[in-house]
Amino acid sequence: MSPSGPTPSGTPQIKSLNCPSCGAALTLRSFSQAVTVVCESCHSILDAQDPKLQILQKFKVAEGEDPPLIPLGTRGTIRGTAYEVIGFQRRTIHVEGISYSWHEYLLFNPFKGFRYLTEYDGHWNDVSTLRSLPEVSPGGSSLTYLGETYKHFQTAQAATTFVLGEFPWRVRVGEAADVSDYVAPPRVISSEKTGKEVTWSMGEYITGRDLWRAFKLPGDPPVPIGVYENQPSPMSANAKAVWGLVGLFLILLVVLLIGAYSLARNEQVFEQSYEFDTSAKGEASFVTDTFELKGHTADVELTTSAQLNNNWIYLNYALINADTGHAYDFGREVSYYYGYDEDGSWTEGSPKDEVTVPSVPPGNYYLRVEPEGEARHGTIPYTITVKRDVPQVSFFGLGILALLLPACVLTWRSLNFEHLRWAESDYGGAPDDGSLLGTAESIVDSVKGSMSGDDDDD
Amino acid sequence: MMIKSYFLIYGLLVLSGVGMAEYRGWTLSSVDEVKNVPKSVRDNPGSYRSVYGYYHHYTGGK
Repeated sequence: MSPSGPTPSGTPQIKSLNCPSCGAALTLRSFSQAVTVVCESCHSILDAQDPKLQILQKFKVAEGEDPPLIPLGTRGTIRGTAYEVIGFQRRTIHVEGISYSWHEYLLFNPFKGFRYLTEYDGHWNDVSTLRSLPEVSPGGSSLTYLGETYKHFQTAQAATTFVLGEFPWRVRVGEAADVSDYVAPPRVISSEKTGKEVTWSMGEYITGRDLWRAFKLPGDPPVPIGVYENQPSPMSANAKAVWGLVGLFLILLVVLLIGAYSLARNEQVFEQSYEFDTSAKGEASFVTDTFELKGHTADVELTTSAQLNNNWIYLNYALINADTGHAYDFGREVSYYYGYDEDGSWTEGSPKDEVTVPSVPPGNYYLRVEPEGEARHGTIPYTITVKRDVPQVSFFGLGILALLLPACVLTWRSLNFEHLRWAESDYGGAPDDGSLLGTAESIVDSVKGSMSGDDDDD
Repeated sequence: MMIKSYFLIYGLLVLSGVGMAEYRGWTLSSVDEVKNVPKSVRDNPGSYRSVYGYYHHYTGGK
């Protein structure tokens, strides 16, 4: 036996003992604070406070038992304090016939005391005991601690199924405790009830990569599987930030729209009325007078208004630059029908048609117009109006969609993340607490319910 | 917060695109463009034939 203690620097020292059962060397790292120590060779749980190291329990180890991912005796720095891994236990709960196990690593610093690391499917938590009691709501659905609300996630009976190292309590394999978790990602508050004693602790999610760095462990940490109860959602903060930006951009878009309507020339540059005799023989095409399109390259809006009475007129248009010979060629049909039948009055089409010619440079232009129609329709009066630089709302609509789409996708992914989180809870879904997530989950559930109801009907 | 930065750039691009579309008079529809139309069209409009001529017209109504 070589007694020692903490050095003034706080670096843990060790004390060596021998197992009374198998004689194997034991190591005590937490000195007088160790209540039980486990022999790694014969898996005897020994009374560390008894000079004779009385055997308290012996347990069998299943074949293929995985060793701790962080070996006992490994030292690392967490939140600026050096800790040494001195104990390891596996705890198991049974939910709906399925066993779920997680691992707990006991860390020790002679001046700071104990803290824990827990690991489940590659998800890690840095855990320490609470110094004050949280306030649990009457129904137990939530608790408040330091002004923050934690939602109840799960309650189960956890049994200790494997131990290694030393512990500041009388650890036993098979020992059971009622464990309840309350989450407010990235934190979780857990209560452990054994008999009349309740212990509260708080865990904060930490990535395996950070831990591997802190303990200078070789290789890579196990890849996390699924979504853990207090795992911070990578999408949630992003979605909130992006929605804030969407709001800002929508305001800017409205400002841009107002600016566009204020600054656009929206100038009528040509208007002329004509009559088309559908029964006339010969060439129907004609050209208009020249008109000037001023300013920068902008759109041109051409409106055709025809006096139609259950008939149509088709106009082949060419907007031709008188100087360069560059033409914009398009055809427009204007048709208007109306009547009355057993369903009442009806109309179809419109006597007015608008078309926008995009990006027309400034210059002198004329229109070549070639009307077509059925000979039996007689004479059709119509008016052509040309406007320059007319504001269009279509791109503003597209802009709104373009801004909303990624924000909606992020929100959907965020909700999906929360759905996966709460699917593992006692509730199998988000708690119905009026929150956005709860509301979204309710909507999804009701849609699924109605769809399955439809299927039943079918 | 990387996504926020990306979205900031994306949003500015969207705004710039909308502003540019509005300024340059872009539309969602397009028209055919024909280059070098002879000046004689002014005197003889029938010499120009639109690609939209001889359209098969709907003569419907209910």
